[in-house]
Amino acid sequence: MRFEQLNPFTVAVYYLCVLGIIMFSMNPLLLCIALLTSVLSAVIGGTADKKAHLFSLAVFLIAAVLNPLFVHKGMTPLFFLNDNPITLEATVYGLCAAGMLTAALYRLRDLSKVMTSDRVLYLFGRFSPQIALLLSMAIRYTALLRVRWRKISDSQRALGLFDDGNLIDAVRGRARVLSILITWTLENGIVTAESMESRGYGTGRRTSYAVYRVHKYDAVLMIVCILLTALSAVGIYFSKAEFYPVLSMNLLNPWGIAGAAAFTVLSVLPLIINGKEAIRWRWLLSKI
Amino acid sequence: MRVIENPRLRAILRYGIPFVLIPALVALSAIVFEGQRYLIISLGIAVLALLLFMTGFEKRNIGARRMVITAIMTALAVFGRFIPLFKPITAICVMTAIYLGAEAGFFCGSLSVLISNIWFGQGPWTPFQMLGFGLIGLIAGYLSRVLLKSNLLLLLYGVIAGVAYSFLMDVWTVLWYAGGFDWKLYTAALLSALPFTALYAVSNVVFLLILRKPVGNKLNRIKIKYGV
Repeated sequence: MRFEQLNPFTVAVYYLCVLGIIMFSMNPLLLCIALLTSVLSAVIGGTADKKAHLFSLAVFLIAAVLNPLFVHKGMTPLFFLNDNPITLEATVYGLCAAGMLTAALYRLRDLSKVMTSDRVLYLFGRFSPQIALLLSMAIRYTALLRVRWRKISDSQRALGLFDDGNLIDAVRGRARVLSILITWTLENGIVTAESMESRGYGTGRRTSYAVYRVHKYDAVLMIVCILLTALSAVGIYFSKAEFYPVLSMNLLNPWGIAGAAAFTVLSVLPLIINGKEAIRWRWLLSKI
Repeated sequence: MRVIENPRLRAILRYGIPFVLIPALVALSAIVFEGQRYLIISLGIAVLALLLFMTGFEKRNIGARRMVITAIMTALAVFGRFIPLFKPITAICVMTAIYLGAEAGFFCGSLSVLISNIWFGQGPWTPFQMLGFGLIGLIAGYLSRVLLKSNLLLLLYGVIAGVAYSFLMDVWTVLWYAGGFDWKLYTAALLSALPFTALYAVSNVVFLLILRKPVGNKLNRIKIKYGV
């Protein structure tokens, strides 16, 4: 099974673990690994296009420059800018914060590609069926509103009721389209509500359209994720990474290295799973 | 609107969150992290606060009609977030709140953020945005009698909501970036966000002005005609 096809709970646990460590560790070694692996998985998974990569690069550069410009803590001045010291410590901290931001942004982009709306609904439905229903209806209406907006504005334009060339006319025309859209959708919503009530809404438990079972594979993966995260957290705990007033790091002790190794495995877990599937597919093909 | 159906779980959350969980989180941050990990703590508190508000809504089971109309208004707010620069999301939440009640306002605000972030990007900022817009709706619902009467106060509410939202989100920006609160960075963030703050406030006022009459009339009509 490919990583994207796993139970939404497993996927959510995985991203919670990875993002948790990325955002809360502030450990330079782990952040380097995080940045490299998240770029790697975005490139291999094809979740980021050229524009997205450029945006991430811009975020990295801005975030890295901002900290030394505004924070002047630290004992080692590199140079002075307008009589304010630019310190080595603040620069290193800025680089780490920038790495954290960029890695987190890459991971979040992956997450929103994997977590489609029906999966979000599945997760919320467990917590509260009311919210799940409200969410699913709102998502449906968002798509419906777009379709209806097109329909109304096309027909108004075809009737010659507003002219796109004239700014005032165009704005007034849009306002009329919006007004029609709201009236139509609200009236139509009442019909939906009536239909729901006559079919027995609120009389029993709501069932969900998509059925995701928790397979043994899911359970094993969840346990692996949590164990790897715990090992990384132990590694973070035992390695010292202090930035102010003087950089004092102790990253390469045995626990720190074990934690970094665990985090590396955790970071590339989706790549391992998908790679295994790709190899198996090739192998089965060649057997035929 | 009853969100969590199990009465025991609801009671536990309702009294446990403000009196046990939030103090425990704050104490944890003071003792274990020595006040270092503001981000985890603030994220935890935002999620807990969202849960707390949801457990508060338990008076009646919401009718299908009110639910569908709230969903439509939420969809309109999401739809409006695709407009470049000027965002009518606050105006729509406020309108929903003053005509359909505080719970509807809360859900319109928080869920429209959750849904639109599927396109705009989910992240640790989502709970904060949800809380921000949810509170804008909730408070407007509680002030509905005043806001319905006076046009000027409604517009003033729009301005205050825009500025307050920006201030809240900048606290979060600084916490995430610097790991702790820093007044200098906060001021820098506020200053750099100034054009956006002004844009929020202006678009709130503009959209409240435009939408107040027509949308208000439509919602009122639906309320009277179908007895929502």
